[in-house]
Amino acid sequence: MKQSLVLLLFTLSISAAHAQSSCAKLIPLCKASFIEDYSWDGRYWRAELYNNEKTEVYYTFFKGLRYRLIPCGSSDEKSPLRMRIYNANHVPLLDTGTQNARPYWDLELSSTQLLIIELYYPAGSGCAALIIGHKASDAIASKE
Amino acid sequence: MQENYMVFAVRNVKLLLRSVWAYLLSSVVLWLSACGSDAQQQMPQTVPDTIYAVSWEEIEKYMRAAPSPAQISLWLRQEKVPFYREALHDPTLASRYRSLKGAANLGIYLTDMAYAHATNNYQVAYEYLTSANRLSQLYGLSDMLSMERIRELDRLQDKPDSLQRLFSTYYAEIQDRLETTGQQALLRHMILGGWVESLHLTLHLQEKAPNKHGLADLIRLQKSLVPLMKKMYAIDTTYSEDSRIIFSHLSAIEAALSKIPDPATDASASTDPQKGLIRLDFEKSAPLSPQISAQLREKLHPLRQYLISV
Repeated sequence: MKQSLVLLLFTLSISAAHAQSSCAKLIPLCKASFIEDYSWDGRYWRAELYNNEKTEVYYTFFKGLRYRLIPCGSSDEKSPLRMRIYNANHVPLLDTGTQNARPYWDLELSSTQLLIIELYYPAGSGCAALIIGHKASDAIASKE
Repeated sequence: MQENYMVFAVRNVKLLLRSVWAYLLSSVVLWLSACGSDAQQQMPQTVPDTIYAVSWEEIEKYMRAAPSPAQISLWLRQEKVPFYREALHDPTLASRYRSLKGAANLGIYLTDMAYAHATNNYQVAYEYLTSANRLSQLYGLSDMLSMERIRELDRLQDKPDSLQRLFSTYYAEIQDRLETTGQQALLRHMILGGWVESLHLTLHLQEKAPNKHGLADLIRLQKSLVPLMKKMYAIDTTYSEDSRIIFSHLSAIEAALSKIPDPATDASASTDPQKGLIRLDFEKSAPLSPQISAQLREKLHPLRQYLISV
């Protein structure tokens, strides 16, 4: 009985470690695929989400810069990773779940703000990561 | 790019090992507890790791909220701010810092470098990168900010976009190296130093040009950021004198910020599905009074002095 318990926990540990490892592999892959000419300052977030779990990302967004949000992950139910954007007071501003699924979204703001981005899967479990790139806003760049 | 992959590969292995280790450890603990009370009595009383009361993942969430020097640099360039040498820290002190203060000053020098670069003062930027290079040697980061890399950045002076991207990559690597080598406490101080210096520079610039809305926005933003910085340090104030001092300075800054009317955080969101663009339009905030900025400067000054004093 005790041996079975140890064996079970060991098996679980290996599979969890494997899931975490494959989750980590997503980040360079997503970055290489979608970052294009955006600068990336090393901030990425990664979490394993089980059964409707969510994870939050806090990030300062400047007016005058354009950001690329690359939600990146794979779930056991093949559902796309979604983002809910909240202001600093946790008031919801936008849910990308109401939009067609895309591999990334670009973001611009009319003033500098701290935003909270919640990552979630509509169904199932999986790993979730977010990469944020930044560059000068096209609107401002064209004025110069 | 290859270097990036290597850093990630190292991180993956570490995460894998950490995960396997954690599960093996829990397996052994469960097995031992299943063996009965005799075995439990024979086990030595382990001292829990009380340095961080909450998980590191929780702290990381707050640590990444503050803008990086790379982002600050691009934004300052967009704002077309003037250059004030007198606002910068003394680069010749770099060799005199050690341990946590060294990490905070690494963040300060990188932010000063970012400001000098954003205002096209490349010679000054070079001086600050050299100071950062000196400090980086304390933390096993000398290859990340090597003289060769600094010269590479220097060669890109007339290509600000390329320079910006390269600096962002180097900053990314520094963060990753500190995390993967278990130096999160140093990373926290580096982020704090960078944040303090960016706010110090913003307040200095705002004093000179009070009508710049972008600077006022950045000062208002601190109402949201400072509570998160406090959380970063609240976790170990019981054990660390440094954290206790920093926490009390942050509390004083928060008190000064409480006099600023709440910034407009309600926004209308619009999307352009064709371009994949989200636009958030926030209401305009009330102007910032010079008195409040002066009070904030007064409260920030002692924290900056604490970090830069030798």
